[in-house]
Amino acid sequence: MNGNGAGYGDPGEPGEPGDGTAIAAYGIGKKYRRGWALRDCSFRLPAGRICGLVGPNGAGKTTLLGIAGNLLEPTTGTLRVFGEAPESEGANRRTAFLAQEKPLFRRFTVEETLRLGRELNPGWDQRAAEDIVRAGNVPMAARIGTLSGGQRTRVAFALAFGKRPDLLILDEPMSDLDPLVRHEMMGTLLAEATEHGTTVLMSTHMLSELENVCDYLVVIAEGGLRLAGEVDDLLESHALLTGAHVDGQLPANLAHHTVVETRTSGRQFTALVRPGPDGLDGGAWQAETPNLEELLLGYLRSPQAAPLLTPSARIDDVQAVAA
Amino acid sequence: MSTLTSVPAPTGAAGPARGLRLGGMNWLVWRQHRAAFWTLLAATVAGVLLIAYERTQLMSYLDTQGWPHLKDGWDQHLDTSAMDRISLALGLAPVVIGVFLGAPLLANDLETGTAKLVNTQSSSRVRWLVTKLGITVAVTVLCTTALSLAFGWWWAPLKHLTSGPSWDSSTVFDNTGPVPVALTLFTVVGGVAIGMLLRRTLMAMVVTFGFGVATQIAWAYERMSLGHIQVATSHNGVLADNSFPVLPGSAHMIDQFYLTASGDYIGYGNCHEMTASATNACLDQKHVVGWAVTYLNQSQMPGMQWLGAGILLALTAALAAFILLWGRKRLV
Repeated sequence: MNGNGAGYGDPGEPGEPGDGTAIAAYGIGKKYRRGWALRDCSFRLPAGRICGLVGPNGAGKTTLLGIAGNLLEPTTGTLRVFGEAPESEGANRRTAFLAQEKPLFRRFTVEETLRLGRELNPGWDQRAAEDIVRAGNVPMAARIGTLSGGQRTRVAFALAFGKRPDLLILDEPMSDLDPLVRHEMMGTLLAEATEHGTTVLMSTHMLSELENVCDYLVVIAEGGLRLAGEVDDLLESHALLTGAHVDGQLPANLAHHTVVETRTSGRQFTALVRPGPDGLDGGAWQAETPNLEELLLGYLRSPQAAPLLTPSARIDDVQAVAA
Repeated sequence: MSTLTSVPAPTGAAGPARGLRLGGMNWLVWRQHRAAFWTLLAATVAGVLLIAYERTQLMSYLDTQGWPHLKDGWDQHLDTSAMDRISLALGLAPVVIGVFLGAPLLANDLETGTAKLVNTQSSSRVRWLVTKLGITVAVTVLCTTALSLAFGWWWAPLKHLTSGPSWDSSTVFDNTGPVPVALTLFTVVGGVAIGMLLRRTLMAMVVTFGFGVATQIAWAYERMSLGHIQVATSHNGVLADNSFPVLPGSAHMIDQFYLTASGDYIGYGNCHEMTASATNACLDQKHVVGWAVTYLNQSQMPGMQWLGAGILLALTAALAAFILLWGRKRLV
């Protein structure tokens, strides 16, 4: 842990491990031959959170996770994992990464795959890994190539959990699991994270995962950051307005608020807004707090809307320069 | 947290402790490529046994001819075709090992994503690359050295004799001393680099095959350029039967020239005239006094082998450094 850890702003809630910041990204961007996959992305992920990373296909999610997991180098900017560079030994040891395709050696047995974890990780927890494998009745002597997709994912999970990481990075972890196994693995994930204070950063397309598991949210679209912060805070800082429009004309005082998205159907309009300083009173509409789906869809459909970061997700510019 | 790390591994995970016990990254690399390594080691043992058998055949023939004081006509029934056959097989070894061990070494991990798996464990990427290259190089050196020593031992009785494969043939020159080790290492490490850049196993194997064949062709052309050219001259004219200079036994002749009075060499295609008198007139006019023959002596063989091997090993080291530098940053 380096000395400037305390300077990242919000030190996090009491009792959390480390200095309270799991990931800090300072203007990271990644350019491939095709163009920019990720651009000028700055945010902070406090330790101990279970964070969902959401965005359309090709938004740069995998790129962002790859940079945090030391598989890619950013073209611009820097990223710190617990205050250290991703390629440092300390960050490497504290981070577990589960890639989207869940690569494993096909000719290894399950037992040998767990031995791989034991041989390469000093903090390896054989019992935790074996428990996850056993819970799915995956035979230890079976070769990985003979397992079903779900069983293979389970072994990959066991390998990630057995490392006893402080930061667990998962790239669409549940996409090839049946609903029952998905539910069970989510339960394991939650139990693990709560018991050990593990920070989880997972990209996902599934709203149910977000709603039931995640308490933190990072949304990226077209390579840029759209939203970052606590799920509850993000929801509460938005309002979903419903009212009548006159020949497609929306109420003029809607402009007092930051409009993320408006839609009309029939004589009705709905608008997702961030309320202005004067509050929502006085408009010809009904206001309610949006649910997560409405919030996400609004931002994903309107990439031009101004990004919103809650205080805990903001990177102090002074710190960014110092880093 | 630290108390959790001391949880003992449950029974059944320990595995039988036979011989050398590998741990950490060494275990992983050996486990992943053990089929290739064992195949290579087994093929080497088979090759050494075959060579040992052939050598006893050769020695028993030589014994019937009075070895070490051979009688006249001792080589009438000498059959060294086995030496040529086996050397042909050994000549394929660099390409085969390069294609089946070198090319997939990193390409397969990059193609299937297992490179990501290994590199998100706690050990560093450089460690992974060094271990992969190190074990592969060690096994390759072990096998090719054993075969080189065996082949050299087989050929040794014929070394100073006039029959059998001579030192300057590919049969002997490429399969003894440091040459097979260096040729194989260069092809294998080249294959690893090709696989790292292409990231596709099959394509890497095809390109490595081309690389290995090109290396063999280049080596065949350059092999005899590694020595210091020696010159033997004669001053008895060029037409008499005994005018040609006498070369040391088993010397490798490179080229022959007409020697002029001023010491220059001119091509012996000069003065091919229709009549003897015209030829003589031409030779006189050009002041040709004898022959100049360029050659390499057999005593140069070890020096040439080590020089060639040194060049190949330096190129191999450069390739290995490239793999580490490139792979450290851009792999996965």
